[in-house]
Parts: sequence; C-alpha cells; structure tokens
Amino acid sequence: MKMLALVLAVVFFVLGVLYGLGTINVFTKSGAEHAHHVSHLVVCWVLALLSLIWYRFQSSPAR
Amino acid sequence: MGGSLCPGGVPQCSVTDLQALLLALLQGVSELFPVSSLGHTILVPALLHWTNINRADPTFLAFVVILHLGTALALIVYYRKRWFAIVRALVVSVIRGRLSQDRDEKLGWLLVVGTIPVGVLGVLFQEPVRALFGSPAPAAAFLAINGLVMFAGEALKQRQQRERSRATLTGKASALTGKVRPIEHLSFAQSVLVGFAQSFALLPGISRSGASMVAGLLCDLDHEDAAEFSFLLATPVIFAAALLETRYLVAPDAHVALVQAVAGGLVAAIAAYLSVAFLMRYFESNDLRPFGWYCLIAGVVCFILSKRGFVS
Repeated sequence: MKMLALVLAVVFFVLGVLYGLGTINVFTKSGAEHAHHVSHLVVCWVLALLSLIWYRFQSSPAR
Repeated sequence: MGGSLCPGGVPQCSVTDLQALLLALLQGVSELFPVSSLGHTILVPALLHWTNINRADPTFLAFVVILHLGTALALIVYYRKRWFAIVRALVVSVIRGRLSQDRDEKLGWLLVVGTIPVGVLGVLFQEPVRALFGSPAPAAAFLAINGLVMFAGEALKQRQQRERSRATLTGKASALTGKVRPIEHLSFAQSVLVGFAQSFALLPGISRSGASMVAGLLCDLDHEDAAEFSFLLATPVIFAAALLETRYLVAPDAHVALVQAVAGGLVAAIAAYLSVAFLMRYFESNDLRPFGWYCLIAGVVCFILSKRGFVS
C-alpha cells in the first residue's frame, strides 16, 4: 500500500503538469484552451497531495 | 475583481437589478434546500421569459461565481467553530503521521474522502453534462426524479428502522445497533458513497443536498446528522468550484455591475445562512417528503410547460 500511495502521488503530479502544459486534453471540453485545464491541474495536484498524506500515514512507525 | 465594472445600470450588463436580486435569493435558498439550485436557475429564468440572460455570457458567469462565493462563505460562517476544529485536527494528524480516535479528525478525513468523488467527477463531466441537459425540459424531468429519489430514500429509511426495531424486540440485535449512528461513526467507504451520491447533482434538477442526505440516511444517519454531513460536505465543493471559476471574474468580456455583484453576493450569503439555520432545525424532527412533493410537482408542471412551449 505504501508503494501504491507513492506511485499514485507521482502519477497525479505528472498528470497535473501535463494538463497544465496543455499536453493532454482528455476529459476537457475546450481542448487546447488553457484556462479550462487549470481545474484539471488543481484536482490532479490535490489528489497527489492526498496520496502523499496517505503514504505518510502508511509509513508511520506506530502502525 | 479584475473584470471591468459597470456602474450598476442595465444596458451594459446581462441581468437587471431585479433579476440579480431574485437570482441571488434563489441561489442562496435552493443551494441548501434539497431542491436543486442548478435546476432552479435554469427553470425560473425560462418560466419568467428572461430572454436577456445568456448562461454562457462571461458577465453572467462572473455574477454566478459571486453568488456561489457568497453561499460558500455563509456555510463557512455558520459552521465556523466546526471547521476550525476540523482543520486543526487534520493538520495535527498529518504532522503526527497517523490517525487517532479524535472525533474532529475522523470527521475531517470523512469529509476529505467524501469530497474526492464529486471533485474528480465534477471536473471531468460537469461541462459535457450541462451541455447535454442544461435546458428546461431535462432539468424539469430530473427535478421530478429528484422528488422520487427523496421518497424512495425515506421509504428505505423507514423500512430500515422497522427491521431494526423488530430485531431489537426479538433480541437479535445488540443495544448499539438499535441506535442511529452519529456522523463520526461512518466508515470511509460510506463517506465515499455519500460523496458519490452528491456528484449526481451535476445533473441539473438533482439536488446536491438531497442526494447526499438520502445516501446519509441509508448509511444509518438520522435526518439531522445527514443534513449536517451534507452541508459540511458541500462547503469545500461549492467553495472550490467558485474559486476555480474566478477566472470568469477577470475575463475581459465580463462587465459585472459593482452594485449588483456586492448586493447579489450579500443576498445569496444571507439567504444561504438563514436556509441552513432553518434546515438544521427543521430536520431535528422532520423528513425529506415535503421537498419530495415540491420537486415532483414542480418538475412535472415545468416539464409539461416546456413541452407545450410556455417556457423560453
């Protein structure tokens, strides 16, 4: 589970960057229009952050 | 606001002052009552033949963002002590690196987990769904379905309670299972379920609070706790959605009247605050059925009117 959390964090971070750069337009209505991708970037990075928190909880020595 | 502001007059702006006031009131009330704010903001202008309103107009979108910000702020102010405790508990648990038995911490993580489905599905599907169903006839149909969902939720809840009391009487259940759970006893899977139910509100006519309350009731919450969990769950979603759409405020084509913006935001906030205060008292001893009747009747009437060409 620890590894899964870390892999998810990396995947979501990279996805966010790709959405931010406009490299990928999957699930975006406006295609290459930049503004719309900010929402996708933010959501991906929030998911990456949550995955890191999950990783931290898994890594706790108390568990 | 970065968008150009017009001085309060009508000609440059997409809504009149009266329309702005009514829309703000409608948003503040219908966002929290289980009757679908999105459905109402489609149906009411159509019923009143407000043909000057273009929902894709940058000025109108900027105005809607302000109304949502007002609603979210009202929710934050109403639950300010709860949110303060929740955020503090979340920060402490992240620093500590493990979960504890703290009630605020558990509630905080339930809200985080429950927000993920609607956050992801909202970003992915909000615009295509609204493009498909954002007209009066589908909104009216979904409003009627929203009413039926609330009836179904209440019926299932009553059946659950009957079975539980029968089991308690026959000694098959422990004393604990005879009680309705407080919010903090929800599991993370149940929180995801409630969050997922909330995402049905992407469909115009389906109420966010209605869907999440029905899901909460089916997860063994009573009406008051289901309403509170629904409002707490809605707060970050409404606030984040409004923040993500603040680009409309700074759009070069947005000409929001300063007076309209301030008054609209204020009216939406006051209406939302009074609505949540009323609903929390209402759900202490009442259920969703009156809202179910309203949605069913309003949905059917609006659907017939839209099919007969009485709405614009």
